[in-house]
Amino acid sequence: MHLTDEQLNEYLDHETDDPAEMELHLAVCTDCARRLSEMKVLFSEIESLPELAISPEFSARFMPIRSEHAGLPRSLTVTMILQAALVVAGIMIAAPFVIRFVSSYAPGLSIPSFVDVFLQMQTVWMAWLDTLSTLSFPTLSEIPVVNVSSLVTIFTVIGVSLLWLIGNGLLLRNQVK
Amino acid sequence: MSAPSDRDLIQRARRGDAEAFGELVVRYQVSVFNVCYRILHERLEAEDMTQETFLRARDRLQTFDDERLFGPWIRRVAANVCLNHLEAQKQPAPLDEERAAGESHGPESQVESRERSEQIRQALASLPVHYRVVIELRHYQELSYDAIAAELQIPLSDVKSHLFRARKMLAEKLYAPDR
Repeated sequence: MHLTDEQLNEYLDHETDDPAEMELHLAVCTDCARRLSEMKVLFSEIESLPELAISPEFSARFMPIRSEHAGLPRSLTVTMILQAALVVAGIMIAAPFVIRFVSSYAPGLSIPSFVDVFLQMQTVWMAWLDTLSTLSFPTLSEIPVVNVSSLVTIFTVIGVSLLWLIGNGLLLRNQVK
Repeated sequence: MSAPSDRDLIQRARRGDAEAFGELVVRYQVSVFNVCYRILHERLEAEDMTQETFLRARDRLQTFDDERLFGPWIRRVAANVCLNHLEAQKQPAPLDEERAAGESHGPESQVESRERSEQIRQALASLPVHYRVVIELRHYQELSYDAIAAELQIPLSDVKSHLFRARKMLAEKLYAPDR
């Protein structure tokens, strides 16, 4: 008695209850073995069907937009915050030395200390508060101005610029990596 | 740096990372498109259903079981999307004259191979929808009879009969002319 097509299908699908028994029959029955072989060819042809490529238009339409404005990676954000903190700390540490250095080369030059600058700023702030409390409109000549020497300003600008350039360089190096 | 795993991308996509979901789309769009094309046999429709599949997948991502593989899951979603689409249409999809990508001039064997592939595609396209779907789930997604029955919500006996008849029809179309 031959195996049915259903049995052969189930055998090839690994869904038969007793494959060993079927294999015994297939080993001696050339007719069933031939039918099984034909089915295997069909299975193979179905499964070897190559995949189609998607069309370029569809790919372009469907391709998720990789936003250029996407948030920076976490590592880069942390690096930037650390750099900013370092720049501020660097300025605070370097300022007294820069001032001392400038003073040594220009003895006549009067460079206010941080305390002086702070007190000046506080005075200015209090003056502002007083001005605002009177609700009057002060003329330009009444507005107190902090007198900071041009040399200090120049050195500060140069220092910050250098730190800024170094910081950007480090950032770009990270991005290239 | 190694590429992130599907699981990583899924977790990022769940947190709203559109780029992570986009990466999943890039990874699976070809295989999903091919599932749709094998069932629908019409390129534009298959493209639309591919898009629909990913939209549906994105909506279901929160409930996706991380223990499952994303590839087989999304291909199964695609098969269901196409089946629902065909059932909503209630009319046979027109056959597409599409040829495999990249065909032009080449060695004779390649041309023959492409012609044979096209014959198989046409034979598959001529099958009734439910036969096509069981062929897709069994041969391309390698689901067991039980899994197919569960997926399509049909009795196991129907899965077997659909599969046997589908194969018989394919064999007649593909081999009978030579006999």
